[in-house]
Amino acid sequence: MKIAVLVKQVPGPESALPINDHGTWVDEESVTFVMNPPDNFALEEALLIKEGKGDGEVVVVSMGPDRVQKVIREGLAKGADRGIHIEEVGPIEKDPLHIAKRFTAVLKDENFDLVLTGLQSDDTGMGQTGVLIGEMLGISTATLAVETDIKDGHIRLKRELESGWFQWVEFPLPASISIQSGLNTPRYPSLKGIMGAKKKEIKTVSCTELDISSNCQSVDKVFVPQTSKHSEVIDGEVDAAVERIVEILKSEIKVI
Amino acid sequence: MDSITFLPVEKFILAVLTAAAVGSFSFEVYRRLAIVLKGTGSLPFDRFPERLLRVFREVILHEKVIRERPWPGIMHALVFWGFLVFGVITLDHFFIGFYKPLLSESAHKAYSYVVIPFSILVIFGILSLSYRRFITQPKALGKLSPTSGLVAFFIVTLMATYLLGEMDISQYLWKVNWWIHSIVILAFLFLIPRSKHLHLVLGPFNIFFKPFDQPDHTAVHIDLEGDEDELDEMLNDLTKLTQNQALDIFSCVECGRCTDVCPANRGGGILDPKNHFILDLREPLLQDKDVAVLDKINVEAGWECTTCQACTEVCPVGNHVEKSDEIRRLEVLVEGRVPQEYQKLFTNLQETGNTEGASGSALADSLPVFTSDKEYVLWLGCFARHGLDPDFNRSVENFTKILDTAGVSYGVLEQEHCSGDPVNRLGDKLTYTMLREHNMEQLAETKKVVTLCPHCAVNLGKEYEKYDKVNYTVEHHTQVVGRLIEEGKIKVQMGDNGKVTYHDPCNLSRILDIVDEPRTAIQSATSEFQEMKESGRETLCCGAGGALWWKKETQGRTHLVRAEQVIESEVDTVVTGCNFCYGMMKQGLGPMTPEGREEVVVKDVADIVAENLI
Ligand SMILES: Cc1cc2nc3c(=O)[nH]c(=O)nc-3n(C[C@H](O)[C@H](O)[C@H](O)COP(=O)(O)OP(=O)(O)OC[C@H]3O[C@@H](n4cnc5c(N)ncnc54)[C@H](O)[C@@H]3O)c2cc1C
Ligand code: HEM
Ligand code: HEM
Ligand code: SF4
Ligand code: SF4
Repeated sequence: MKIAVLVKQVPGPESALPINDHGTWVDEESVTFVMNPPDNFALEEALLIKEGKGDGEVVVVSMGPDRVQKVIREGLAKGADRGIHIEEVGPIEKDPLHIAKRFTAVLKDENFDLVLTGLQSDDTGMGQTGVLIGEMLGISTATLAVETDIKDGHIRLKRELESGWFQWVEFPLPASISIQSGLNTPRYPSLKGIMGAKKKEIKTVSCTELDISSNCQSVDKVFVPQTSKHSEVIDGEVDAAVERIVEILKSEIKVI
Repeated sequence: MDSITFLPVEKFILAVLTAAAVGSFSFEVYRRLAIVLKGTGSLPFDRFPERLLRVFREVILHEKVIRERPWPGIMHALVFWGFLVFGVITLDHFFIGFYKPLLSESAHKAYSYVVIPFSILVIFGILSLSYRRFITQPKALGKLSPTSGLVAFFIVTLMATYLLGEMDISQYLWKVNWWIHSIVILAFLFLIPRSKHLHLVLGPFNIFFKPFDQPDHTAVHIDLEGDEDELDEMLNDLTKLTQNQALDIFSCVECGRCTDVCPANRGGGILDPKNHFILDLREPLLQDKDVAVLDKINVEAGWECTTCQACTEVCPVGNHVEKSDEIRRLEVLVEGRVPQEYQKLFTNLQETGNTEGASGSALADSLPVFTSDKEYVLWLGCFARHGLDPDFNRSVENFTKILDTAGVSYGVLEQEHCSGDPVNRLGDKLTYTMLREHNMEQLAETKKVVTLCPHCAVNLGKEYEKYDKVNYTVEHHTQVVGRLIEEGKIKVQMGDNGKVTYHDPCNLSRILDIVDEPRTAIQSATSEFQEMKESGRETLCCGAGGALWWKKETQGRTHLVRAEQVIESEVDTVVTGCNFCYGMMKQGLGPMTPEGREEVVVKDVADIVAENLI
């Protein structure tokens, strides 16, 4: 069983988030970074699957500038076998399709049985990366897994649906699965793990080598939500209220 | 009774029985000592006179046996003192059998005026203890033990046969009586090392060797750049008891005092220090004939400990009971099993140097920065720096007001990181190393540190000293305030706070032995001071220690027991000397105050003094 876990480094939940001078992203200098929390669960799931099987390989893959080596090391310290660093220079890519193309280019020759991603990243929160990669690699794909069960050549998954509903699905490997937080109890790197991680291999691939063109999306402007006191409570008869809402949508917000 | 003679065959039987009993006793004791000596470190002989004095107070005077449980304590003292008195008689008894009496008839007679009353006191004592054990059956003593019954029976028989021997009885009866006495003694000897009664041999030694520092956990030196074999060896040693700890395990008399005082246990948690930290390790020690048994400690119980040291303080046979440090560091450093909320805490500390993951501190920015011309570094600690209870800002300001009034100069460090208390107590010695090394650099040129946080005071002082040479002194703010009052540098008037009590923080009283200074300060500002039921070194933990402040899901109500006591004591104000106690107390008092009653006001020592400055 060969498993890739895509682990992103994102600003910590407590971190200050000042916006950079160009207003295009946060000022990374004053941000404290952590492993994207859902990815932490994905990593744990990969390690549990490997330990359950008794053999296999877990590869931590992360894209970003040099700083992301830290989360790769953390993954290795927890028990992953090797790492791949897709190195970005300059501002980080935020377009999910572009990101997925880069990962696909790196993952395709490795023939992984399983590609695990977090449900979504805490910074951009798009949640598409895993699905797009699955599609481009032409393998089974599912999102929002809260339980996994591997049997020979197949994976059975419990998926979280809306309003407390769950769904069991089963399909053949290889597969790309995005993992929901809370499905296991992530471990902490032991001291032995930390020491051992130093000797494990991290392969670096530069984004420029990958030769992927064209963005579908780019970030125009990042800003702090403006608080304003524009609120109107609409009560009274339902019909009158609906009329009032439609009017607002038409003439004030101009969306219909 | 010179006329009594023993036949050679009697002497032979006596010799065989004595040899068997003494042999078995020695073998069993030796077996245990051999295990103890495999422990890491060595048994200390430093500060010899102090250690002897402690043996005198705690063994001969029975101070601790009596303090926590006066009645059973005195009863036990009777048995114990009787036992000492009987030493000579016992020797004499066997001399009679083997050769001739040791004591002359007149000496025996004279001494019997002491021994006879004592024998009656011993019977009274042991029967009282048995009554307690078999009739009252307090929970702390644990399961009914047949051995205890047997020992009580032995002791009563010994006393009775002694008394009978002193009476005017026929030679035949005397001899039968003599044999009964001898056989019971030998049976007793056989029993001692196999049961908790081994404490009567090891207790005095264990009290002698007890570490002066509590807690007394070994330092964990981590060098990530170092040799891997050394690291392996270090990790391997983490499962081993020290010699001192191993001796504790065999000395325990199973009295349950430690569990009785434990805040986690009293709050309804599963932690039971008597079993989890001591007795659970006894069988593994004997079975493995080795000291690598720390992994046998119940992990869940280990996470519940507030590291308050009440158990260690109370133990009558000199045990350092608390072993949460040992089990937690195994979990963190070796197993990598850490509760999720603590993983977040560790990450915050690694990434930002503070427990909250904050990127700045408004309080620190509002205070003067330390420069070398100032007397004190005012060490804030994460609690104050990052407003774990925002009201505590006022206490810090009150302390600076006192310093300003007295003309004492101070400043804060811009690059102050967490002293490391939470990670130290939670076993993450790697993060602790990072924080400690950072802070030692920041404090390199410092001479004097003062802090409002007892946890920081313990770490910056005692704990850092285990690793590095510390060139500065650390004071708790209550010491400084107490001294300023005594020296007349500040004047305080009696204020109106209603009835005031003081909650001793465990880190302050039990770890730093600071109990008088806060009282000096408080009593200068109030005339209506009263002590709590459990105070001074016998205080009850507020429930926040051992980083439990950050544990969201605590079993039971460890954090409410003390607040409940404060409410019961019917005071108007409770003063404390620790930011965590301050926050915990407020959290507890809110929901616990009965309807219609005024909530008890929580203050820091600095508050009550600053509010009444003249
Ligand atoms: C609570 C919530 C509910 C939502 N509900 C809906 C809804 O009902 N309908 C809807 O349309 N949208 C919904 N969204 C939004 C939606 O999830 C996203 O807009 C989008 O679909 C996900 O984009 P993405 O592929 O860029 O994923 P990302 O969030 O950017 O990343 C997903 C995963 O890919 C991997 N990854 C990404 N980048 C890297 C990298 N640089 N290095 C390593 N690994 C990486 C990581 O494993 C990461 O966890 C919701 C969002 C939230 C938070
Ligand atoms: C450490 C274990 C003990 C040993 C080795 C021991 C040994 C002895 C010896 C050798 C004697 C004989 C004295 C004589 O010839 O008069 C004796 C007497 C006596 N001992 Fe102990 N003893 C022990 C514990 C106790 C205890 C715990 C008690 C009860 C408190 C006790 C009560 C007595 C009494 C009452 C006598 C006097 C009996 C008599 O004179 O006939 N002993 N003991
Ligand atoms: C050397 C003579 C001693 C004798 C004969 C002796 C005997 C006993 C006996 C018979 C008990 C009662 C056990 C039970 O109820 O099951 C007991 C308990 C105890 N002993 Fe000793 N002991 C001696 C020395 C000591 C010393 C030196 C200490 C410590 C300073 C000590 C501390 C205790 C304690 C704390 C208990 C538990 C009491 C309780 O139930 O609360 N004893 N001992
Ligand atoms: S240190 Fe305190 S909380 Fe921990 S076991 Fe001892 S008494 Fe209980
Ligand atoms: S450790 Fe000490 S206090 Fe606890 S049961 Fe044993 S002898 Fe009593």
